[in-house]
Amino acid sequence: MKQLILDLHRDAPPRFDNFVSGANDALLDALHAAIGGGSHLYLWGAGGCGRTHLLHASVAAARAAGRPAIHVDAAWLGKQLNEEHGALIAVDDVDRLDDAAQIALFNAFNRARSNAHTLLLSGPCAPLGLRLREDLRTRIGQCLIYEVQDLDDASRAAILATQAGRRGLRLGDEVVDFLLRHGRRDLPALLAVLDALDQASLEHQRPITLPLLRTLMQQGLEI
Amino acid sequence: MNQDFWSFCLSRLENELPPQQFNTWIKTLSARTEDEQGEARLQLVAPNRFVLQWVRERYLRRIEELAEAFFHAPVAVELSLPPAAAARAPAAQKPVAVAVHASTEAGAAHAGGPADISVAEVEPEAAIPSADLAYEKTRLNPDFTFDTLVTGRANDLARAAAMQVAQNPGTSYNPLFVYGGVGLGKTHLIHAIGNAVYKHNPRAVIRYVHVEDYYADVVRAYQQKSFDAFKRYYRSLDLLLIDDIQFFNNKNRTQEEFFHAFNALTEARKQIVITCDTYPKDIQGLEDRLISRFDWGLTVQIEPPELEMRVAILKKKAEALRVAVDDDVAFLIAKNLRSNVRELEGALNKVVAYARFHNRGISLELAKEALKDLLNAHNRQLTIEHIQKTVADYYKIKVADMHSKKRTRVVARPRQVAMWLAKDLTPMSLPAIGEAFGGRDHTTVLHACRTIADLRQGDPQLNHDVHVLTQVLRG
Repeated sequence: MKQLILDLHRDAPPRFDNFVSGANDALLDALHAAIGGGSHLYLWGAGGCGRTHLLHASVAAARAAGRPAIHVDAAWLGKQLNEEHGALIAVDDVDRLDDAAQIALFNAFNRARSNAHTLLLSGPCAPLGLRLREDLRTRIGQCLIYEVQDLDDASRAAILATQAGRRGLRLGDEVVDFLLRHGRRDLPALLAVLDALDQASLEHQRPITLPLLRTLMQQGLEI
Repeated sequence: MNQDFWSFCLSRLENELPPQQFNTWIKTLSARTEDEQGEARLQLVAPNRFVLQWVRERYLRRIEELAEAFFHAPVAVELSLPPAAAARAPAAQKPVAVAVHASTEAGAAHAGGPADISVAEVEPEAAIPSADLAYEKTRLNPDFTFDTLVTGRANDLARAAAMQVAQNPGTSYNPLFVYGGVGLGKTHLIHAIGNAVYKHNPRAVIRYVHVEDYYADVVRAYQQKSFDAFKRYYRSLDLLLIDDIQFFNNKNRTQEEFFHAFNALTEARKQIVITCDTYPKDIQGLEDRLISRFDWGLTVQIEPPELEMRVAILKKKAEALRVAVDDDVAFLIAKNLRSNVRELEGALNKVVAYARFHNRGISLELAKEALKDLLNAHNRQLTIEHIQKTVADYYKIKVADMHSKKRTRVVARPRQVAMWLAKDLTPMSLPAIGEAFGGRDHTTVLHACRTIADLRQGDPQLNHDVHVLTQVLRG
């Protein structure tokens, strides 16, 4: 009999203490400085490298320190950004800003000094490769720019183990090795497989093993 | 003594404040020992102006209370910026000195509220400003002056005209119309005019405004039905610096208001300086009557800076940051970032931040490391096609051989190397890699990866090839 599962997720909210830093120590240092009013920052890296996590973590840390802070997804930016004095403003995926939103961000740059704002931006590539208005693109180029460095396999394995532990799962080394050797190694893909394994394990009331993973793959799970 | 107090203060505040607040605002302060005329003073240095302001508004009073309790005597607590930052922010340069006078029984009152302590601000907020407040209202950036502007062939005419205007506002060229591409220093130049006029005559009514903010003022005047006040304000100016006029594009009411303000100001012989990204006649969506008025004065262009000027700009900016940057480092940055000054500055900031974080001096080698991700940005998004092409070029075979069924060693080995690189350098799964190599099975890819991993142990030539290709692909 198949066990029905409630669609509940218990993932921890993105914070600095649950970000595996890998080779990103300098970036984390710069983020902490930005929360305390340092330079504007622009982070870039391929999808799944942790940009959004870091932006959310920074906004949470700024709020915890008493500073007003907002996180805006580029697609939702609209014509106007928050004007609250002293705010930390995080804008994710600047490559997806539409024309009006690009002007809103351009204005935010121009007003940042008088509004005591710090801008924290992210995108998929270095400013040289961004397809935005040139006046905005060069302003982004003036920020402190960091590439979010990819994790190595050992760090990925550690994250998988932590995430599995948080869900109360036991994930054998052979499963982790197989996933890293055989499947996509970016974090969103790995965590999606973990979700699928979690669900299947509950539904079938079987522990997570290689045979269970193979069964799921035969049923169409892509890893 | 100050250091003792500061350790005491830190430990108390660490207990009193949430950790995030403590780490963000208090831990970043540092105490400086300074005895002036035998008086006990505590000087706290904030890393930037933002922190200074924040601490002054929220925590200074508590620090004063703790100082009072610790010293049992009047103590002056000062907040200041580090020398380099202070030099770049004249408005915040003066330390805010707050003298704390002990009330008679203050020694016992440290743990209580602030009621027992009389706080007399040596330079109270309301008193400092009359000059500073007037400056604030100009919206000028004190960093942008003629002294900090590097001159070269690209901007010498514009600079000379700007200086002329700054010396004789309203009488030499009116309006002064400055145009040029993005990030070449138009805004710097008009702020420099404003700062020079202000320096010469602090009573001049000056306003720097970006066109988007001017537009916002018009909208506000509409909403609040305050057009009279709006008109009065803009017509009362001695110097109007208006930035990025191309943003007037099709904002008809804003253009209308500007047209009238323009006429009023020029008739009263008040100076207007305008910047734009193109020549007046090429501005889209702008009324002809405005365009023709822009021709009344002088139109000057700023061009992209040549290499030597870019090097000079970097040296000047480094000087402002109080860091030493050798010519070879400035040359490296200037050679790679050609089109605008903003990105030059971004690159320099990155090098400085990198050197500070790693606690190293700025050298050519360090600059290359710091800018690796910036300068190689175009090559960083590795695709499997790019890997296949690079490997095929390296082994002088055709890219089509990566997909073909041929299994001769001369083709198969490079293909295996490419598969290994795809596995190592991209997050792709084995089946996806197999698919990209002519629809091969994932076990073929797995075999290729194992083969290459084994061969690298015993075949120095292959190991060298893989190493070189990895370096090339990583940039």
